Amino acid sequence: MRNRLAALLLVLVATVPLAATATAGQQANAPLTIYAAASLTDAFRTFDAGQNYSFAGSNALETQIRNGAPADVFASAAPLNTQRLFRAGLVEKPVTFTANRLALIVPRANPAGIRTIYDLRSKPVKLVVAGPAVPVGGYTITVLRKMGLSSVLGKVVSRESDVRAVTGKIALGQGDAGFVYVTDARAVSDQVTVIRIPAWAQPRVRYEIAVVARSSNRAAARAFINSVLSARGQTALKNAGFLPAPKAAS
Amino acid sequence: MLFRATLFLATGVALAFLALPVIAIFARVPPDELVASLGTEAAKDALVVTAKTNAISMVLILAFGTPAAYWIATRSSRLRDAVVTLVELPLVLPPAVAGIGLLAAFGRLGLLGGTMEAFGIDIAFTQVAVVLAVTFVASPFYVRTAVAAFESIDPTLPSAARTLGAGPARVFGRISLPLAAGGLGAGAALAFARGIGEFGATIMFAGSLQGTTQTLSLAVYEQFDLDFDVALAISAVLVVISGTVLLSVKLLSRWRSGSTTPIPFAPSTPTSR
Repeated sequence: MRNRLAALLLVLVATVPLAATATAGQQANAPLTIYAAASLTDAFRTFDAGQNYSFAGSNALETQIRNGAPADVFASAAPLNTQRLFRAGLVEKPVTFTANRLALIVPRANPAGIRTIYDLRSKPVKLVVAGPAVPVGGYTITVLRKMGLSSVLGKVVSRESDVRAVTGKIALGQGDAGFVYVTDARAVSDQVTVIRIPAWAQPRVRYEIAVVARSSNRAAARAFINSVLSARGQTALKNAGFLPAPKAAS
Repeated sequence: MLFRATLFLATGVALAFLALPVIAIFARVPPDELVASLGTEAAKDALVVTAKTNAISMVLILAFGTPAAYWIATRSSRLRDAVVTLVELPLVLPPAVAGIGLLAAFGRLGLLGGTMEAFGIDIAFTQVAVVLAVTFVASPFYVRTAVAAFESIDPTLPSAARTLGAGPARVFGRISLPLAAGGLGAGAALAFARGIGEFGATIMFAGSLQGTTQTLSLAVYEQFDLDFDVALAISAVLVVISGTVLLSVKLLSRWRSGSTTPIPFAPSTPTSR
């Protein structure tokens, strides 16, 4: 019996240094873990390749952070997700850092013959959108409502988990048309045709970024956010097709 | 003594690690709420889609997989190894690769896409696409087990039947099939379990739409950040189904008496061959 106890203690003692090493790894120059909206994939990777990124739908990232995911920074494609975490005390005060617009994309071959957004109503079409909880999915519903086209939601054949999944389905020609951000459309511009959405129908797409409260490296996380807000960060975002953050803080 | 203690401890850690996530699914939400969450439209629709697509897949797998397995098991050429490897490949392929492969083959811009379009067949985002994805990932589980089942039949029995004047079809139907039945059943159960849980290839190839292509696994993924309770409830259903299937494989292997088919996941018996 005493031997069993000794073995147990031995195993416990042996694991302690391992855990300590793991914590010590989180030093100043270690890469941060940045949870960012899927639409930021190219922009963030180009801007700072030295960090560890997890790109997904902002809603999925919000749920992961809520469940204790080890993120240092959270960059969301909608204020809703960051603000909910802020109210729950899970992130520090979020700041707006960029903006975006929506576009309709169709495959180059354009099998459904979509030339304008209104063709979605008159023609049979396999429409791909993001799920309603995904920021771009919510923005899609707004655009269609503003244009009086809510009925075309009946032609949706798939609700994807993030904007990149929508882009992929259209670029591959599986779907006939899909609503994405203009920045995502640029990433696959050789495979798709972009149909512009009029300015009056555009939703207010505002991106927010925040330090995750449980981060073990909050100073570095704040420094990353400052670099995104700096002229260099804003230029990188602009080059990827993003819009400057709206001045009036709301 | 120290060895036994270490063994004991390691086993405890391993079992706790494997059991804890399963227990957590049931522990986080009280049973009555779990049942109530199953009443939501999303969960009900997913259950119907999963049942329908998997039933069709199973029919296809049995109808094509059984003759294929028999053919493979009764060959002894170099070709056989190549064929078996081909059959086993989807077993180890990452689901994302399976999804890409299906898109490249049956997608609208894929290899067969043009031909299918010429015949007016468009499977993009339909239940046919779900069936294809499920069949692709699940069938190797059946074929592999079925090959082993046919191979383990005592070769003197079919040849005795042949010398007594039975034709090849009769030998297959009256000798080989009944003798391999236990192994075939176990293989079918494993394929079914894999098919029910199929996720990656489906979401890439068939998309996800409630009531059409959204299976139970896809519903878990979507509900995960919409309504965690519903996601847990659907997960619980999947755990129960998977557990039942594994248990039935073990029972099947007890029930079959004559054959010596090695069955994966069956209780190991110390009998030697």
